Amino acid sequence: MRPAAIIGTGQTDHGRCRDDVSQPELIREAANRALADADISPADVDAVVLANMEMFEGRALPELWVGEGAFANRKPCLKVATGGTSGTSSCIAGFHQAASGLFDVVLVIGFEKHSEGHTQTGMALTDPFWDRGVASGALGNFALSISQYMAERGVTREQAARVAVKSRRNAAMNPHAHLKDANATIEDVMSSRVLAHPVRLMDMCPQSDGAAAIVIASAEHAAKLCSRPAWIKAAATRHEQPYIGDIDRRLLTMRTLRDAAQSVYARTGIREPLKQLDVAEIYEPVTYAELAWYEVLGFCAEGEAGRLIEDGITEMGGELPVNPSGGVLCANPVGATGVIRVAEAAAQILRRAGAHQIDGARTALATGYGVYAWADALILGSTP
Amino acid sequence: MMREESIRIPFRFAAGRAGSRMLAALRDDKQILGSHCPVCVRTLAPARPFCPECGGENLKTVELGSGAVLVSWTDMPGRGLFALVRPDGADTAMIHKLLGQSGDFHIGARLRAVFAAERRGHIADLQGFEPDPGSAA
Repeated sequence: MRPAAIIGTGQTDHGRCRDDVSQPELIREAANRALADADISPADVDAVVLANMEMFEGRALPELWVGEGAFANRKPCLKVATGGTSGTSSCIAGFHQAASGLFDVVLVIGFEKHSEGHTQTGMALTDPFWDRGVASGALGNFALSISQYMAERGVTREQAARVAVKSRRNAAMNPHAHLKDANATIEDVMSSRVLAHPVRLMDMCPQSDGAAAIVIASAEHAAKLCSRPAWIKAAATRHEQPYIGDIDRRLLTMRTLRDAAQSVYARTGIREPLKQLDVAEIYEPVTYAELAWYEVLGFCAEGEAGRLIEDGITEMGGELPVNPSGGVLCANPVGATGVIRVAEAAAQILRRAGAHQIDGARTALATGYGVYAWADALILGSTP
Repeated sequence: MMREESIRIPFRFAAGRAGSRMLAALRDDKQILGSHCPVCVRTLAPARPFCPECGGENLKTVELGSGAVLVSWTDMPGRGLFALVRPDGADTAMIHKLLGQSGDFHIGARLRAVFAAERRGHIADLQGFEPDPGSAA
């Protein structure tokens, strides 16, 4: 393995419904922005990795339709489809391609146009025997885990609401975010309509149309093309048993995410994540998950997550800002969502995050989450 | 310009050896089956062809009780109540429907399985779980 780094990122303007562009055009929007950010041309790209949940839009082999939009014509191109981790796993795949010496410059693009399909049908088309017949969907599954989490750790609805308020306030500084509201209040969140007890509308991520891209380069090319690359210091992915009832209290334990984080921490010498990380972009599909994963990611001890959000530790000006971009709660084009986490973490290191830049960010964590079955973690840094 | 259409997708899936035993037991005997893994010393519900934890195939089919414990629940407006329930004799939970009103349930409550009168070898042969009036829990 040789070092590899992210030298450019690009995102579309994510929204509820991007009827103004086709799927290939949406992808091209993100790809063009990433190539411009990296200051390279399409001819410089050796290989392309795509992330998309094809059943969400109800068409197979999306790469046959969108490949040209991704500049994949006559180049090696593969697709990753692992739910919410599609984006982070595609970034890890691109990292492996550049770090292994297989390719020098890899373009990774994730996208989803939820408005063009039926996401919950895609979600329900998993296990045909035990899940589909009693399908509660992604939302019901979250709610079941959250009920356990609240009962076990004493997390309150108000603490969860604080996560949504932080997210929307941060998103107001992010030109790409789908949902932004600098003035959102805890009361707004707690009075929004119930989707699945105890989860309310503003606790939950939206379904967005959008695409995001990053350019990964081998050490030699990164040094040549970029004055301050965002080096990928470590990456890990974990999978486990997918039947929902098998793991007790899975939102609390989320052992795939815990194991992936511990693996990348160990390889980068991180013993105190809260102190040693400068910024984190985590895949939080629902407010309660962000709190649960403060604990899983080692930002605090078990049962301390509520205090962390109440004390403002994870706010923009706090000790460890979590999701300065507004996170998944404010933009969720699923196949792109993991790429956005990595792109936002990289932009912080590249010092190109604009109004939501964290001053002096040198070490960043990005995570991915895919229906409990997958988890990804990446550490980015300002040195190889 | 937008193009709108819907797609109908026919399918047929084999339930497999373990799944077929499970579904036949629901249909013929109103019986929930599980699988015991001797390596993990853990009984899984529903029945499986292999242990998801250790990968072993040497599982023993066991009959689980029709009583259960409520592990977690949610109420989805317009769609009803869903739960994770742990059938008596199992170490893991199954996802299924809860029969009753939101106020009837609390985590740890005793439940009992309710079966459909007409059964066809489907998870819905088990209609769901309702509060067990014979239990003080």
